[in-house]
Amino acid sequence: MIELLHEWLVAPFDYGFMRRAAVGGLALSLAAPPMGVFLMLRGMSLIGDAMAHAILPGVALGFLLAGFSLPAMSLGGILSGLLVAMLAGSVSQMTGHREDSAMASFFLISLAAGVMLVSLGGSSVDLTHVLFGSILAVNSTALILIAAISSVIVITLALIFRALVVECLDPLFLRGQGTHGGLVHGIFLGLVVLNLTAGFQTLGTLMAVGLMMLPATTARFWSKRLEGLIGIAVVLAMVASTGGLLLSYHLSIPSGPAIILLAGVGYMLSALFGRHHSLLARLRRHAAPLGAPEPH
Amino acid sequence: MPLLADVTLRHPPPGARRRTAGSTLARRFLGNGMVGLMSQEAPSRLRLHDLQLAQANRTVLEHVDGRFRDGATTALIGANGTGKSTLIQGIMGMLKPVAGRVECTVPRERRAWLPQQLALDLTFPMSVEELVMTGSWPSHGAHKGYCAHHYRRGREVMARLGISHLAHRPLGELSGGQRQRALIGRTLMQEAELLLLDEPFANVDTETVDVLMTVLRDMAASGVTLIVVLHDMEQLSRLADEAVVLANGHAHWTSPQTILQGQISVASAATLSLGMPGVSA
Repeated sequence: MIELLHEWLVAPFDYGFMRRAAVGGLALSLAAPPMGVFLMLRGMSLIGDAMAHAILPGVALGFLLAGFSLPAMSLGGILSGLLVAMLAGSVSQMTGHREDSAMASFFLISLAAGVMLVSLGGSSVDLTHVLFGSILAVNSTALILIAAISSVIVITLALIFRALVVECLDPLFLRGQGTHGGLVHGIFLGLVVLNLTAGFQTLGTLMAVGLMMLPATTARFWSKRLEGLIGIAVVLAMVASTGGLLLSYHLSIPSGPAIILLAGVGYMLSALFGRHHSLLARLRRHAAPLGAPEPH
Repeated sequence: MPLLADVTLRHPPPGARRRTAGSTLARRFLGNGMVGLMSQEAPSRLRLHDLQLAQANRTVLEHVDGRFRDGATTALIGANGTGKSTLIQGIMGMLKPVAGRVECTVPRERRAWLPQQLALDLTFPMSVEELVMTGSWPSHGAHKGYCAHHYRRGREVMARLGISHLAHRPLGELSGGQRQRALIGRTLMQEAELLLLDEPFANVDTETVDVLMTVLRDMAASGVTLIVVLHDMEQLSRLADEAVVLANGHAHWTSPQTILQGQISVASAATLSLGMPGVSA
């Protein structure tokens, strides 16, 4: 039994590429879920998806110019993601259209441009790598890059945390205090782009957003408090990324989809059996009697 | 206290009874009587100088001259669409004046505004205590940690508003009255010196009205300048020291008593600017 567990859970990490992928996954799991929680709470769950498409042309361009070099591809991804975010923001400001319609237009253009660029310069194998990620490609450079970006995200988030919370809760109050809410929002979107860029190596550009959103939406079934949501989402992301890697190793399936599907299973189970708003919670309605102490 | 508006109303300028166009009248009406008199009066951190405000190129208010006395509660009265919210936005600096200016010596972070349509996201997972604590922004900003002393102040504020038992309740689960109390709690934490309230007692039960009235009166007594949009006559009599009637694009300083004595009903306040009934006391 112990041997079987060892063979399933520990032995795969004898390989260097598995260890690097696992560490990279854990680093991403610290940074991505808090972003997802804020995106979800602001009703911007799909913006992450749009951003993931937006980094594709930059990644493709980096790939065309420098080959399969992670720093080049990441830099391209960050630049094109930020560019699309700024373009969408300014187009919506100029035209008065809602930001999501501008974002939708731009991410479709980006996706088409990205796919076009990759197929011009490489084969369909390369395209799959970029779109869906590959654990085999996580070398030391990639790992350092992922860890560095994740650290920057966590530290920056800690610095803007209170401003971000107040901006989400009551933008008018923050504006009244003379703090530019748009700046906080801009920094936050920048972090989202950074995060997706860090994630595309293991997960692929399209799947990177999954590690951001799925743990966050799952956590909503388990907590009603911000700290709770973030904490639970981080743990879920860690379990999903490590478990997904193991599944991908044992079943010889691509790592990105395996990780995200595992997180998806967590989401489905939580929707059925979670503590709040789930199907089970709906069936077993329970209320504390009057005069009972307030839960913390 | 001296009711300056009465003085003005007893001595209406010669043109006041004529149905002249509003703008010249208002300038004379306020320019001759009120502004001159008030400048020798109690200190004021908020003055309006010939203010003109517009929403989407449509002038809502013009030639608004006047001042809000420190430590007094001024009721803003007027029918829908007369520019109450516009004036508040102008005072808060959210709306740039077309002409004239707002002179406000209260630092920006000590001004508080509770609009009628809250920008508050009630689905955001935050408790009453956390909301009240965000009022520490002027002293703590984005980074400084809250110390025990500040948490104690937060609890005192909640006790004063009778919401201590709701400290850990999520905002989304509050009633309208409880939410209003929590928001006033935030302005108390903020140590607001200028507080603008847009119909704070709408959809609020009588007990909450009583609690809020007490707190607001205490705030005024401690020197806070309060501007409150009111529709209810009873609330006007209980809360306001002064009143500003908005009608036909102009603002008229008067006293709540004048309005309450029935000479000027709020419904007919619109006629005030034309020098109609009840002007002579």
